[in-house]
Amino acid sequence: MGEIVVDVNDLSRSFGTKDALDHVSFRATVGQVYGLVGANGAGKTTLLKHLLGLLRAATGSVRVFGLDPVRDPVGVLSRVGYLSEERDLPEWMRVDELMRYTQAFHPTWDASFARELLETFGLDRSKKIKELSKGMRAQAGLVAAVAHRPELLILDEPSSGLDAVVRRDILNAIVRTVADDGRTVIFSSHLLDEVERMSDHVTMIHNGRVTLSGALDDVRHGYQRSRVRFVEHFDQPPILDSALAMDGGGRSWSVVHSGSLEQFRHSVLALGGEVVESRDATLEEIFLARAGRNRQQVEVA
Amino acid sequence: MTMGSPAFNVLRAMLWEIWRLTRVEAAWRLAGGIVGAWTVLVVFAAVAPDRPAFQDFGVAIALVVLVVPHITGWISLTRLTGGMPGFPFSLHYTLPVRTAVLVGVPMAYLTVASAATYLVSALLLRLTSGHPFPLMPVAAWIAALTIVLVAANWLSRNPVFWMLSAAPAVAAWVLLADHRLNAEEIQGSFDWPPYLWATRFDFPLTDYAFIGAIALASIGAVVARVARERHGDMRAIPLTFGDPPDDLIGLFRFRCPTSSPTLAQLWFELKSGGLPLVTIGAAVAILNPLIFAVTGYIDAWLSGMYARTFAVMFAAISLLILQFLWHNAFGVRWRRGRWYPSAFETTLSCGTSRLAALKVLVRSVCALAALTLVVVSLWVTLPLLGPGKTYELLRSGQRAIEGGIGALTGYQQLALSVVASIGLVVIVALLAALWALGARYPRRMNRATGSLLLLHCLVLFLLVLNGRRGIGLFVEAMGWIDAPLLLFATIYLTWKVFAERLLSLRSAVGIVLISAAFGAAWVTVLRAAGIQLAGMPTMDAAWMLSPSLLPLMASAVAPWSLSRIRHM
Repeated sequence: MGEIVVDVNDLSRSFGTKDALDHVSFRATVGQVYGLVGANGAGKTTLLKHLLGLLRAATGSVRVFGLDPVRDPVGVLSRVGYLSEERDLPEWMRVDELMRYTQAFHPTWDASFARELLETFGLDRSKKIKELSKGMRAQAGLVAAVAHRPELLILDEPSSGLDAVVRRDILNAIVRTVADDGRTVIFSSHLLDEVERMSDHVTMIHNGRVTLSGALDDVRHGYQRSRVRFVEHFDQPPILDSALAMDGGGRSWSVVHSGSLEQFRHSVLALGGEVVESRDATLEEIFLARAGRNRQQVEVA
Repeated sequence: MTMGSPAFNVLRAMLWEIWRLTRVEAAWRLAGGIVGAWTVLVVFAAVAPDRPAFQDFGVAIALVVLVVPHITGWISLTRLTGGMPGFPFSLHYTLPVRTAVLVGVPMAYLTVASAATYLVSALLLRLTSGHPFPLMPVAAWIAALTIVLVAANWLSRNPVFWMLSAAPAVAAWVLLADHRLNAEEIQGSFDWPPYLWATRFDFPLTDYAFIGAIALASIGAVVARVARERHGDMRAIPLTFGDPPDDLIGLFRFRCPTSSPTLAQLWFELKSGGLPLVTIGAAVAILNPLIFAVTGYIDAWLSGMYARTFAVMFAAISLLILQFLWHNAFGVRWRRGRWYPSAFETTLSCGTSRLAALKVLVRSVCALAALTLVVVSLWVTLPLLGPGKTYELLRSGQRAIEGGIGALTGYQQLALSVVASIGLVVIVALLAALWALGARYPRRMNRATGSLLLLHCLVLFLLVLNGRRGIGLFVEAMGWIDAPLLLFATIYLTWKVFAERLLSLRSAVGIVLISAAFGAAWVTVLRAAGIQLAGMPTMDAAWMLSPSLLPLMASAVAPWSLSRIRHM
């Protein structure tokens, strides 16, 4: 395991009566890409804000580069690039002014990289932020976040609400930043195919709790989607070991399950059925199984 | 539109929403008017039970107290725009109703509600006190002023435009009321005693026609504005409180230095707030004498003091406008119904105390420059008021201040400048801190803190002005509450900023030196004002010296409050 960049230990935070984070632990090592997935309000942004020191830990601890981001904001933020979900940039600034202003805070600013990205995105340097479209604003914010070659890049829903072209440009820019040795990226996203494409690790948050965390390949190999057929007719989903979600009806069902395939086969056989087909589940299937409606169906059953 | 039709349901929903938003304020207005007017009646009756003329004057004051709360009916709705002007129901733009309905319904509701709450309270007072409080004529005038003020508030999202349009409306209302009520002079009494109200308030029909025309014109103007916003021709997003217009910021085109974060932040503060503030100050300083000159010609032509009232009002408002531009030095923004610090600024890799110091100092220096320009302009303009009783108080005040400053020695003048300059920095820092803490902590707590500070200043002001005369018990009681609180808050905050490593030892030494300089200057100013601490009771001396704690407190509370919103 490489050097630890982010170490969140038993972090809890509530807003009023709502537990936004409930005993969350999360660790990120150098040179890896971490994808945070979860439904709206799951706690992804709250966790990212703790990493930036925008929120104080109510209980537990947060360390970034071994520093407390609340007590030592300069030590942490000088090594971090951040793009917020709201793309909160000063409306009155011109793109060029934004670049120069951000540059002043980062001695590691790579002017040629910034220029190249601005040209790739086709951003007009003389335009004010308030004159930019949503996509252009995200691009400008991203250039400001990555052009100083940060050791840690934190992106909160970087491609939310953007069209396919802008999304591709942004992902390419992130990939290029990561390509440099020793860069770590933590990003949250609703777009599971994007997380699947970019991440080395995935962490799933549901109602403020980490429900799943691990290397993407391990996560995907740990879940299968199997098609099963029974002799008997079932009106309700049959109860199967390690099943998380089931679709279908009657004799034919599609099941997302964890654990070994052999154990699952035994479970199906015990109910007089057989596994017709099996493959690794996609991240979306795992997400829906763990956080979606189908899981409740299984629990009810 | 029929009962149960979609349009009717939308209308009902709109009315319900306005009622829900304004009901508490309406209740306060009703209660405030009645209780205030009754208090005035009781006080005047108790002070001079055998002087009918004095009591008549009390009834007139009670009428004024009864009227004033009812002309601010739209204030509750500004919570939808973060306290800023502008049409508050921009989220209704997608409702399937005409713009005229969208605008007309809330305007009509607010106008009728203001008039109705006045009518209820006036009727109640009329029945219980026996005095002939006027009903319909005053209700109609309240409705007229309300609709004009609502229109002024909704016609633009620019606070300067709002103040400049509301001021002439209020001035016109006061002048017209004065014209109607003081039409005939009564020797030995004021011109509108209660026994003449039946005739004095019997306004001619032309007045009501005028009110109707004002109402229609106001609704029409707001409908036109809202229609433009609704179709995307104008900005519908509320501005941030205290932010200068982007076009003004765009005037200053100098490059951001990249050599150091401090210089870059200095550029940011100057461009986003400081230089626009000085520019607005310069513009106001030029406008003031011009307005005085022009209104002088108008009044000479009308043979009265009508336009000059507007000029004096503009001069007073111009100081208020500057205050709006310097009070939110930390740039807390209104978004999605709450106050937030900008995530862009809070994630800068810049130390909290350095960020706080730069923001407060740049805003203070620019505020000082703008204030100096405006005050100098007003100073040279005051003699333009010309002869006459009306503004004698202003002129005599000017003469007294000039005489007082002229009598000071060079050292005392220096001390006064130090007190004024550091005092302004303290005010900017405390306002920024209060604004920031308002984004973090419950509003009630901030109101209590702000009120305590204001009360402290008021007691100190009265003590300096008149000694303990009439407020002795209050000074004693407040002293036992306020002094320990102020001391405790200063010690606690100083300890917190060190514990949280917000301030270094070097900056602390600087702050102590500045506080000491302010303290010495403050004592010099007190002596120059003829206040001797030596023979004074301990409590009074503590009151007098309490402001010297403020620079220390402001130096601690500013970075601490910024840290509180930076790390929520």
